[in-house]
Amino acid sequence: MTISSSTEQICFILLGLTVIVGALGVVLINNIVYSAFLLGGVFMGVAGLYLLLNASFVAAAQVLVYVGAVNVLILFAIMLVNKREELKPIKALQIRKILSAGVCGGLLILLFRVDLTTKWSTPGPAAIGEKATERIGEHLFSDYLLPFELASVLLLMAMIGAIVLARRDVLTSDVVTGDVVNQNLIEKSNEPILIDQSNKQ
Amino acid sequence: MNSPIAGNQMSRFFQQVAEYTRNAISAGKYLIQGLAVTFDHMGRRPITVQYPYEKLIPSERYRGRIHYEFDKCIACEVCVRVCPINLPVVDWVMNKETKKKELRNYSIDFGVCIFCGNCVEYCPTNCLSMTEEYELASFDRHSLNFDNVALGRLPTSVTTDKSVQPLREFSYLPKTIMDPHEMDPTNSRAGKLPEEVMDWMKQESESAPKDLVESINNQDKKTEK
Amino acid sequence: MTVLGTLVSTGLDLELSFNNILQGFGFSPEVAHILWLPLPMLLVLSAALIGVLVTVWLERKISAAAQQRIGPEYAGALGILQPMADGLKLLVKEDIIPAKADSLLFTLGPVLVLVPVILSWLIVPFGQNLLISNIGIGIFLWIALSSIQPIGLLMSGYASNNKYSLLGGLRAAAQSISYEIPLALAVLAVVMMSNSLSTVDIVNQQNGLGFLSWNIWRQPVGFVIFWICALAECERLPFDLPEAEEELVAGYQTEYAGMKFALFYLGSYINLVLSALLVSVLYLGGWGFPIPIEWVARIFGQNIDAPLVQIFTGSLGIVMTILKTYLLVFLAILLRWTTPRVRIDQLLDLGWKFLLPIGLVNLLFTAGLKLAFPIAFGG
Ligand code: SF4
Ligand code: SF4
Repeated sequence: MTISSSTEQICFILLGLTVIVGALGVVLINNIVYSAFLLGGVFMGVAGLYLLLNASFVAAAQVLVYVGAVNVLILFAIMLVNKREELKPIKALQIRKILSAGVCGGLLILLFRVDLTTKWSTPGPAAIGEKATERIGEHLFSDYLLPFELASVLLLMAMIGAIVLARRDVLTSDVVTGDVVNQNLIEKSNEPILIDQSNKQ
Repeated sequence: MNSPIAGNQMSRFFQQVAEYTRNAISAGKYLIQGLAVTFDHMGRRPITVQYPYEKLIPSERYRGRIHYEFDKCIACEVCVRVCPINLPVVDWVMNKETKKKELRNYSIDFGVCIFCGNCVEYCPTNCLSMTEEYELASFDRHSLNFDNVALGRLPTSVTTDKSVQPLREFSYLPKTIMDPHEMDPTNSRAGKLPEEVMDWMKQESESAPKDLVESINNQDKKTEK
Repeated sequence: MTVLGTLVSTGLDLELSFNNILQGFGFSPEVAHILWLPLPMLLVLSAALIGVLVTVWLERKISAAAQQRIGPEYAGALGILQPMADGLKLLVKEDIIPAKADSLLFTLGPVLVLVPVILSWLIVPFGQNLLISNIGIGIFLWIALSSIQPIGLLMSGYASNNKYSLLGGLRAAAQSISYEIPLALAVLAVVMMSNSLSTVDIVNQQNGLGFLSWNIWRQPVGFVIFWICALAECERLPFDLPEAEEELVAGYQTEYAGMKFALFYLGSYINLVLSALLVSVLYLGGWGFPIPIEWVARIFGQNIDAPLVQIFTGSLGIVMTILKTYLLVFLAILLRWTTPRVRIDQLLDLGWKFLLPIGLVNLLFTAGLKLAFPIAFGG
């Protein structure tokens, strides 16, 4: 065994442990802020795994999208509504926990089954390394064009929804009740910052 | 959608875009103007005084630490009364035999004093005066409580201190010169020096008619009353 | 000099000779390789640190000049040792963790802020082979890594258990998320012209005709967008809301002292130098001399491949990169003393309503120009 392959193995074990322990922590830790930070750690671990697989572009995209955007937004939301409140004890929590654990365990067993029954071709196709970026681009704009576009439409919908939620002056009345929406909440100053004040007089 | 309205909207949109671009460009222009000003400042001489090595000469009316002459004081306590916070401590005893006040101690706490100069103004014997000393920093506020010995010390003058480069203050500078560094030390300040004013006054009083001088003197007396 | 020469001619030679020497001492090639690995990293770390020291000194001196002061004067000639004195002071200061703070996150925060910034130095080229790793995703790595930073800021803001810290952290996160997008768009336009994400390719594509072929002429709008966004990412003055001292004491750094504070300080200055370096790489021709070095060599009748000329061009490249970088740092400092701080809504307006649409239009325009004039805009 060469040094490089053993380094790779050590890295793999470490990253795998990070991902598993982190994921368990995300689910089991009660403090939601810790969970969110651990989620970031898990994403980083996954990015590391991609790196080990010679997929540097995917790894960087993983970091950019999941750590830099998704996780930061989660943290942002948690911290903006950082209320320390006593939650009402949920009835039959124990049973719910056991049920969800059963579902998760079942899923895990299914995954293992897939893992064991699939015939993995080892070694897999040769890594293309630096060419991966171009190859991904080609795939995105040829055979994966439809899913790609669908995903962008989905994002567009989410964005429009967010805008509608944020700018309530679009709605003059509540959608459900038909009442007039309280206009005081709307931010009054929407003036662009680059207005030249000199020609106003 | 009929075309005139669409065309209208289009032209409005383009107008807005043009306006936006113009605003952005003018903002950039202002920014460059500001940068030019800052850049211009970098070429100028520093206006700061390098304090422990250079010091400004305090002006004649500077209200610094108070000087006190023990021997002149008559323990009348006027200074205490005029002080906004009754600060000076006059420690005297009545001598029964001579029936006179005997001054034992006098102190002012400069940690509390506001250097208003009331005590100096009203002292009947002129035993209080304001010096040009302002370096009163100390590690313990109690050491700012000066007794009559400490109050009697004269401050070191900036101009005689060999380790210090004295710099003239703005009021001591010749006309149009702003920076004490770039001035020839022989230049005299803007306006007349006190002795010149004195000479001028003497000349005036000689040449002026007698009654005018008298009237001025009378006025002075009136205000004194 | 010989070391530099080998470094210039082929990047691997230095490694090879190092390995040969170690093997001469009886190490196996693999051990030699492992021993070699930390050296470039150390080099980058020290380069970053020295860059920070110089920048701190420059910042103090230039700020002083802009305000008609003298600035540090007595620590070394012209106060050159002042940043070291600062660092030393921070090193020996007491490390305080507030009683109600979350000590684990409190410690982890500054580390998370600093590490991505230093990692990004991997891709900064000082010459054809003078960089740690010419990886294919190059500039994209920097964008990805810089998006980790807000997590560290949020972490330290939250862990300090202080309202100012939390607000500072939230502001920092909001700011870097909003400015990452126009930044990436500006970079994308450059990448589109050079057909590669690698920083080395980006520089090579700019150095055909000396300074005439620098990207700043082809991407003036992109340059402005990138510079504004880089300033915002570094939290430099017009955009220093996360640590706005009049409102938030010091933002997310409020509760920090000693070495942890020094990590933030280091991070922000390394980031500034890094941004300036990347601007010079993306828009100002990186290590390229304003006149193509081949032409100069031809005028003097020198062969460009001669070892001495190689050494010369290599060192010239380093000098050019550093020169351009510090010109930009100077501009940043000048801007710091010129512009007032923007409000948070103005900041977000500028990011989302101004830079983002303009970045998109710029990208579209670049794509169109690339199709229309493939010679000038990278076929
Ligand atoms: S200077 Fe003013 S405050 Fe100070 S002792 Fe005299 S009267 Fe009191
Ligand atoms: S007013 Fe003058 S004379 Fe009277 S006690 Fe004070 S210092 Fe002495």
